[in-house]
Amino acid sequence: MAVLLCLLALPLVALVVRLSPAAVWHRLGQPDALAALRLSLITSAAAALAVVVLGLPVAYLLATRDFPGKRLVQAIVELPIVLPPTVAGVGLLLAFGRVGLVGGALHAVGITLPFTTLAVVVAQSFVATPFFIAAGVAGLAAVESRYLDVAATLRAGPVYRFFNVMLPLALPSILAGAAMSWARALGEFGATITFAGSLAGRTETMPLAVYAALETNIDTAVALSILLVVVSFGVLACLRYAPWAGGVGGGNRKGSRAYGPGR
Amino acid sequence: MHLGGMLATSLFTACTSRPGLVVFAAASLTDAFNELGDSLRRRDPGLRIQFNFAGSQTLAFQIEQGAAADVFASADERWMAIVRDSGYVADTPSTLVRNRLVVIVPERNRAHVENLEDLARQGIRLVLAADQVPAGRYARQVLLNLSHKDGFGPDFAPRVLANVVSNESNVRSVATKVQLGEADAGIVYVSDVTPAIAARVRRIDIPDAENVIAPYPIALLRRAPHLEAGRAFIASALAPEGQRVLERNGFLPRD
Repeated sequence: MAVLLCLLALPLVALVVRLSPAAVWHRLGQPDALAALRLSLITSAAAALAVVVLGLPVAYLLATRDFPGKRLVQAIVELPIVLPPTVAGVGLLLAFGRVGLVGGALHAVGITLPFTTLAVVVAQSFVATPFFIAAGVAGLAAVESRYLDVAATLRAGPVYRFFNVMLPLALPSILAGAAMSWARALGEFGATITFAGSLAGRTETMPLAVYAALETNIDTAVALSILLVVVSFGVLACLRYAPWAGGVGGGNRKGSRAYGPGR
Repeated sequence: MHLGGMLATSLFTACTSRPGLVVFAAASLTDAFNELGDSLRRRDPGLRIQFNFAGSQTLAFQIEQGAAADVFASADERWMAIVRDSGYVADTPSTLVRNRLVVIVPERNRAHVENLEDLARQGIRLVLAADQVPAGRYARQVLLNLSHKDGFGPDFAPRVLANVVSNESNVRSVATKVQLGEADAGIVYVSDVTPAIAARVRRIDIPDAENVIAPYPIALLRRAPHLEAGRAFIASALAPEGQRVLERNGFLPRD
């Protein structure tokens, strides 16, 4: 266990001990770091939102229905977890690029994705989706059907049952999934640099800025890295200990283990 | 030929210790060095060479972080000097080849970039290497040089730079983005327009007077695990046969 912990923890320690907190603060205050930080916050929030809005219906169907091709859908939504992000980037470029599979049609209606901030959001959504779906499916599937049945006997319609019974019961898992997908979007690198390119203020998110800064100013790279480590750690800590995360007596018993709060 | 045989022998003896010679080379050398490696291996089937191609700045960083490399071939003298100043270079670097820049546009050229002046036209999607990458620095230098030329105007460089949509981390990614038609134009080395890429892009030449002729230094690294093999590799790259391979791949001879 010691070996594994060293492997995982030492790189983080090495990052943190290199710079004093004051130095980190100073570096993060530089305009280029701030631009990357702002862009990362905006794009990852947008990606997480997109993943929740588009992913919730899919998670609902996967959790509650059987339909032809369900396994295929499951495989497709899980694939980005194991797909190398660079491959995702190449695929996105060949599909949604200017001369890509559907890029021509997009271009014709005035949407050109590559090298835009929107492309960053698309790349982040691509890699972040499975983290939300997995937690969402687990949470929704764990809602016991008798609650829904009781609601139905009280003449609650399907829409009412979903929003007022199912969703509140599954909320911890859904929030956990949203947080995980946000954190994954925040850390996205390979798909972004391939599909969206790298331009300060437009497509250069924090991980890309870390990569660029490595070659010019390693302390800036380290400062940005420390911030990413702290944020990622914060997300995980929240998922584990926040009251709504189901740590103690939470609503979902078997639900949110897939990627969400562990026990 | 005698020299070649001698090199092959020394390469072989030095390389019997596994896993073999490790050459860190600028991304622009990818095709040329792969070809050179193949021809060396044909002469000596026991030879083991591993290439690590990346932006020179990335390689310099990796070397400074203790990567076990034997030879470093950089696309500019600056990164070689940085590695040398940190004490990682064994011998005085030699000039391997020289390279110059060219503008490329996709074969379909939907943005109608026909000449250098068109690069400044508003709305052109230009991709450059980032300015810490040698090719990116040279590209910006070329734009400045052109700004002093009649017919371009002093605001040429800023107008072109306003069209940059991505700063790529190495020059080969620039060629890729143009080749895929995602960028309207890019500035790369002449040597980057490999046969595979040449079919998919058009070249717009930069006049020699405004172009940057960049020397590529190559050096043996201190603490190289394969000292003799490294020295032999450098010698074979500088020998007429090696130079011919490099020239075939679009480089200018070393002097």
